[in-house]
Amino acid sequence: MNIEYLPHTADIRMKIKGETPMQLFLAGLLGMSHILKENVCRETPEFRKKAEIKLSAPDLTCLLIDFLSEVLSISYTEKAIFCRMEDVVISENNLAATLFGTGISSLDEEIKGVTYHEAEVRKNSSNCWETLIVFDI
Amino acid sequence: MKIGKKNIHKLNDYLWEIPASFRPQYMHVPARILASEILLDEIMEDRSLIQLVNVASLPGIKGASMVMPDVHEGYGFPIGGVAATAYPDGAISPGGIGYDINCGVRLMLSPLQRFEVTDRLEELSKEMYAQIPSGMGKGGNLVLSDRQMREVLKEGAAWAVAQGYGQKEDLAFMESHGKLDMADPRLVSERAKKRGKDQLGTIGSGNHFVEVDYVDEIFDTAIANAFGLEKGQVVILIHTGSRGLGHQVATDNIKTLMAAMEKYGIKIPDRELACVPFNSEEGQNYFKAMCAAANYAWCNREVISWEARQAWKNVFGTRGGNLKLMYDVAHNIAKLENHTLNGESAMMIVHRKGATRAFGPGFSELPEAYREAGQPVIIPGSMGTCSYVLAGTAKSMEITFGSCCHGAGRRLSRTAAKKQVNAPVLKEELRSRGIYVEAGSFKGIAEEAPVAYKDVNEVVETVHASGIAKKVAKLRPMAVVKG
Repeated sequence: MNIEYLPHTADIRMKIKGETPMQLFLAGLLGMSHILKENVCRETPEFRKKAEIKLSAPDLTCLLIDFLSEVLSISYTEKAIFCRMEDVVISENNLAATLFGTGISSLDEEIKGVTYHEAEVRKNSSNCWETLIVFDI
Repeated sequence: MKIGKKNIHKLNDYLWEIPASFRPQYMHVPARILASEILLDEIMEDRSLIQLVNVASLPGIKGASMVMPDVHEGYGFPIGGVAATAYPDGAISPGGIGYDINCGVRLMLSPLQRFEVTDRLEELSKEMYAQIPSGMGKGGNLVLSDRQMREVLKEGAAWAVAQGYGQKEDLAFMESHGKLDMADPRLVSERAKKRGKDQLGTIGSGNHFVEVDYVDEIFDTAIANAFGLEKGQVVILIHTGSRGLGHQVATDNIKTLMAAMEKYGIKIPDRELACVPFNSEEGQNYFKAMCAAANYAWCNREVISWEARQAWKNVFGTRGGNLKLMYDVAHNIAKLENHTLNGESAMMIVHRKGATRAFGPGFSELPEAYREAGQPVIIPGSMGTCSYVLAGTAKSMEITFGSCCHGAGRRLSRTAAKKQVNAPVLKEELRSRGIYVEAGSFKGIAEEAPVAYKDVNEVVETVHASGIAKKVAKLRPMAVVKG
């Protein structure tokens, strides 16, 4: 399991893991999409919504949080949830990707913001990339 | 880092202090907790106090970083936090305001008594639910043009009044009269404007609601009279903020400020406390955008009041009279205010995140009828319990930078609440106690169940006993509308 939801008094604390930075970013994307609409990525047969993302950030942690914030904003303005990433290029400071998702008419949860609080992308003792992410709900 | 009782000094029965020597490497001032000992023990169970200690590291922070008795763990700042920084070069931190800029509450007074509405409550709650759009990411009935959006961001609640969605008399009964003059709509991103385009007049989801209450108890007759409150009176409580527009303003600016910190040599223990000097270009850009989002929120609550008035009229007709605004207060905001510290008066940037302004008697912004009483402070409780109206005091100016609590304060995570609460059963239980709930989902009911919150009575007793606000009236719910 690369996505785990941990206790937080008011908001949602999520722990994600991935063998590569790309897998970590994908876990973040799927974890956030699941909060917005449970099982939407698992249950949608075809992803017709598309979005291009290009970002720069001072480090990998900021890059991940900025990536999720960007996807969240697009989700609200385009009324869509994103589940797949293609043509992904990730470095320490840059990300480019094409996202695919599905249109939605309602949400299960409204995320106000993806916070930098407790986020720290690092390799754990199993040589896996991991971080915590706290969402403001 | 774990903070235990041994690290906390008792200043009096309701004020506790973690000295700056606890983390001298970054605490510029002590951290103070306004709480009874019972609440302090509860507060120590999550990470609120670690976050409070981190807030004491903000550049230019004055006096102490503070939390109110309803505090709980947040992200960066704890929810229930207050921090005043030096004007003009102290820190401005979007994390000290939150993503929901100018989330706040307002209370409207009806001329009807409880017995006059009891048999129409189900109809009223359904009509409120129909008239007031709610739910996750949902849009409303108004879609703003670009020009209208600029006007809303600049004019706040006055825009709604000018368009016929509000009452002119309401404006005097709002914090800052429902408008911050420093707002600059040009500093709000196009994306934020796009998110806010169709959300005016909507309450959203989470802990936001519209509630029909009655005045159950009066504690201070003179102040209650001044506020227009009487026993048995039916009142309407509204809780919401700046919706997606405010969330986007916060997101945009936290990113910008984080990148700018290095330029100003700022180091902080938590990235979510990202801050810059208030008088820097980035600080001013954020503050002016925050003011615009705050204006959007005041306009939003004014439009929701119009929708509530429509629902009220549809149910009660002319015999229902007018719903008069008692007061509207923000609880996620930064304001420029004068405060006296160690005998010296100075302008400060006061961050309130989950805390309410609670200015005492004599404050010139207050409508004349309230000036001797002090500023009304509205404390919503949880769904099935009670809420309070308090009045700010001179003492709040002495010890909390004119601030007070903002609610009961969460004690259980949403997941834990959902595990413990059977929402359909709770809805029926509340119904058997005379409380109608109209909600978009059972999940929303479970997450906001009374068990998820601290005892609002204990929180309010604490602020009353500490002297930072006076109890005026207790409200009990009859109908709750939520997303």
